[in-house]
Amino acid sequence: MKNKILTLALIFTVGLTAFAQSTGKIKTQKTHFKFYSHTAVEDIEANNYKAIGALDKTTGDVIFSVPMQSFEFEKAKMQQHYNSPKFLDTKKYPKSKFVGRITNLNEVNFNKDGEYQAMVEGKMTIHGKTQNIKENATLSVNGNNIQLKTKFNLKLADYGIAFKNGKPSTNIAKVIEISAVAEY
Amino acid sequence: MFKNKIFKRILILIGVIILIALGSVFYMFNMPHRNVSEAKTDYQFQASALVNEYLKDQDYANKKYLDEEGDSKIIEVSGTIATIDKDFNDQLVILLKNKEDKAGVSCTFSLDQKIDAGQFKTGDKISVKGVIRSGAAYDDDLEMYENVILEECSLINTRP
Repeated sequence: MKNKILTLALIFTVGLTAFAQSTGKIKTQKTHFKFYSHTAVEDIEANNYKAIGALDKTTGDVIFSVPMQSFEFEKAKMQQHYNSPKFLDTKKYPKSKFVGRITNLNEVNFNKDGEYQAMVEGKMTIHGKTQNIKENATLSVNGNNIQLKTKFNLKLADYGIAFKNGKPSTNIAKVIEISAVAEY
Repeated sequence: MFKNKIFKRILILIGVIILIALGSVFYMFNMPHRNVSEAKTDYQFQASALVNEYLKDQDYANKKYLDEEGDSKIIEVSGTIATIDKDFNDQLVILLKNKEDKAGVSCTFSLDQKIDAGQFKTGDKISVKGVIRSGAAYDDDLEMYENVILEECSLINTRP
């Protein structure tokens, strides 16, 4: 009887450990998101170091959650405009999110040091609007350290962020460049 | 002669108005960022209390603490150090979290605070003041609890 309980306990423990390992999700809190807008009038950039993310080495899942009020601008007035209901409305939509997957996972070897070009496809939610996106990212594997880097363009109108008139319509580009780095 | 005098006065008045207008545009454009460490504290909490308020009702808490233009509430929070890290901007990041809590308060210190990370160790109790950027919540996709985020933090005191 005692043996039976011990065996059961052992099976249970082994099972739990296997389960814990099968979800190969690694987390990151070390990230840098930047957006850059270029027009003839002025260049605007903002930086955010507070996004968190996860990467699943077995399924290729890539997830990011970005606290929108953490974008810092050089000029205080720009930061206020960006946050306001006219633009990103960060009080109503405090987080942006990306939920996607590496589609060419067979070309990425997490166990071998090197640089890999990954295709990432998924859903981007900004300002309460969700769009499908498909972008390239570079994965650098160095022992246990994995770094993901990407740079892509984003059309503001796709996310319901539109400037019809006034200063923002001339000073903010319709398409902005997003760059992101994450260290897992 | 009399007409000329009025004309002159109007001209001066218009000049002054233009100067004031230009001045305020210039000020608006170059308005400095709010100095969080010197601004008035809006709320004081134990880390657990703030986390639990968010976990109970995220929308309510966002309405209460976040500002439309990003000048969100300035919060003083006390708690136990769970982790000490640096972010990509080389800023010191301290997580205040009780062992029994599901999430904590992540405090990012401004670089200009020049705080030496070496003075802290996990388990220390500290009080920190900063601006709230986002709240705590469970995220189904990340499969984890997100912490409350405070930035532009400064140290209120350390217990010897």
